[in-house]
Amino acid sequence: MKPLLSIQDYKAHFYTRRGIVKAVNGITYDVYPGKTLAIVGESGSGKSVSQLSYLGLLPAPPLKIMGGTVQFEGRDLLKMKEDDLRKIRGDKISMIFQEPMTSLNPYLKIGSQLIEPLVIHRKQNKKEAWKAATQSLERVGISRPSHAMESYPHEFSGGMRQRVMIAMALTTEPKLLIADEPTTALDVTVQAQILDLLKSIQKETQMAMILITHDLGVVAGAADEVVVMYAGRVFETGSVDDIFYRSEHPYTRALLRSTPRLDKLEKELPVIPGSPPDLIAVTEGCPFYERCSYQKEICKTEFPKESTLGPKHKRFCHAEKLS
Amino acid sequence: MHRPESTTLSAKDLTVHYPLRSKGLLRAVDGISLNLYPGEVLGLVGESGCGKSSLGRALMRLHEPTSGTLSVLGSDFLSLKGSKLREFRRNIQMVFQDPYASLNPRMTVSDALSEPLRAHFSLTPQEISKKVGRALEQVGLTEQAKHKYPHEFSGGQRQRIAIARALVLDPKVLIADEPVSSLDVSVQAQVLNLLKEIQKNTGLSMLFISHNLSVIKYISDRIAVMYLGKIVETAAREDLFKKPLHPYTQALISAVPIPDPKLERERKRIPLTGELPSAENPPLGCAFHTRCPWVVPRCLEERPNLQAVASGKQEVACFESGKQL
Repeated sequence: MKPLLSIQDYKAHFYTRRGIVKAVNGITYDVYPGKTLAIVGESGSGKSVSQLSYLGLLPAPPLKIMGGTVQFEGRDLLKMKEDDLRKIRGDKISMIFQEPMTSLNPYLKIGSQLIEPLVIHRKQNKKEAWKAATQSLERVGISRPSHAMESYPHEFSGGMRQRVMIAMALTTEPKLLIADEPTTALDVTVQAQILDLLKSIQKETQMAMILITHDLGVVAGAADEVVVMYAGRVFETGSVDDIFYRSEHPYTRALLRSTPRLDKLEKELPVIPGSPPDLIAVTEGCPFYERCSYQKEICKTEFPKESTLGPKHKRFCHAEKLS
Repeated sequence: MHRPESTTLSAKDLTVHYPLRSKGLLRAVDGISLNLYPGEVLGLVGESGCGKSSLGRALMRLHEPTSGTLSVLGSDFLSLKGSKLREFRRNIQMVFQDPYASLNPRMTVSDALSEPLRAHFSLTPQEISKKVGRALEQVGLTEQAKHKYPHEFSGGQRQRIAIARALVLDPKVLIADEPVSSLDVSVQAQVLNLLKEIQKNTGLSMLFISHNLSVIKYISDRIAVMYLGKIVETAAREDLFKKPLHPYTQALISAVPIPDPKLERERKRIPLTGELPSAENPPLGCAFHTRCPWVVPRCLEERPNLQAVASGKQEVACFESGKQL
């Protein structure tokens, strides 16, 4: 199968007064139709910037794209003119964000916001669009959709607002949905509802999904493939089972071990010493070097090359086999 | 588990009602009775809006409870006033969620930690410096941290400073409200282990408030589950996960994703429809009846009280408890 989105050696940096923030520092992976790719990482790992930047959703300057390619359906998004990119964004590629309150306009009725993608991208007239949007609300499980179309965002709970966001992202039947921490602001009982909803829609439409999250539990339940990011770098990629059962990267392993799990009664959690690095200070070496229990001299000066461990499984690490 | 008779903190029928502009009342805490025993970590878990932070703040008297009684270390905490109250407060300290907001950016670490000491004791600068140094050591920071400002530290280190500030007075009770929720996963474990270790070394009693059931399970000896202003179940941590009695507890446990793909593929979720009702206009009878799969007519009229089950160690507020979803 051909990938829908193919990111190759992509770099995006911020030029700030303090110095150059290497937010995305050479990442490579593919996204396939009908599959969910989860990008896992802590705050500052570059997981959001790696997506927002190539879509032109971040102010440039300070953002500067430093190289690489981002091929979507065979076309390089990085070489595209702003006008062409705008035609794809919100149409073939849709996004949902973490905070559904701030991503909806509080002054506009839900309906007026929901029809926007259809009116702009599909040139539908408002009446048609209103009908289609009402249907899309029904599809995401909102009862009394026609009433909801006439309501304002504040009249909805967090979970309902996120459903509205999903409905809005899906009106144009996108090929790729980028979901940036879609359930982080929601309660866990509601989170389960939203993740189930996304899964069932994906099954129906075969859209590809990039799920950005810091929650390893969400990844285990929702992802087909996983990319582990740290300080702007990709550390490991693989199928969800590769990452959770056969990880060969010290960071991935340490992260999995230091997360408390509901199915275990841990006596003492192993910790990762220190904290994530300042992205201005990152060097050419491996950014995890100082916190790593497998550190070697070479890690200080040279970022490891990709090594292949299985059909999908790749890692970037100088260490020999992990114990 | 040995259950000592004496309590460190004991709340009876505590309520916190916020008056609303619409002349209504928001019943954030709606008649809660809760004991905290010496040397235990009690986890308080619930979803946003259930009133867990309001309860924590009421136990500290950061917000005055509307009614009820509260005894701390044998004293009637709610009747204390003026200098007596100020003096008593050293026994009960708090750590908040956001270490960026709870530390004054214009105070050095040493200032922030010595302020409570100056307020409560008359000590010489040398004595203060010694106590500050000891508190910093307790949380794994060095003397060099003393003269730095909060912005010079990472989130995890800031939370260590906030914990040191709470510990500098040697409190008997520590209330930690979502202390690791704003921290990265790799740093979260460090702070959790630190709190565990401090509890063990000092023997203080801790109320650990969180929405994260996995974190609560790791740190607590005993757990209380809260829903819409009420406690619906309390149990020792092993019992709560082995045999949850309340339907809400069961649904909550089943909704938490586990970082294990095989388990996630196999597990059955107990779907809860809808969301938390508003505390301004809570359902009559049992507050959970609008989402409960076991609902019977009685639940719509009568409010179930928290009652000990046969074994005596677990308490549940449900007429139909004991079924399994």
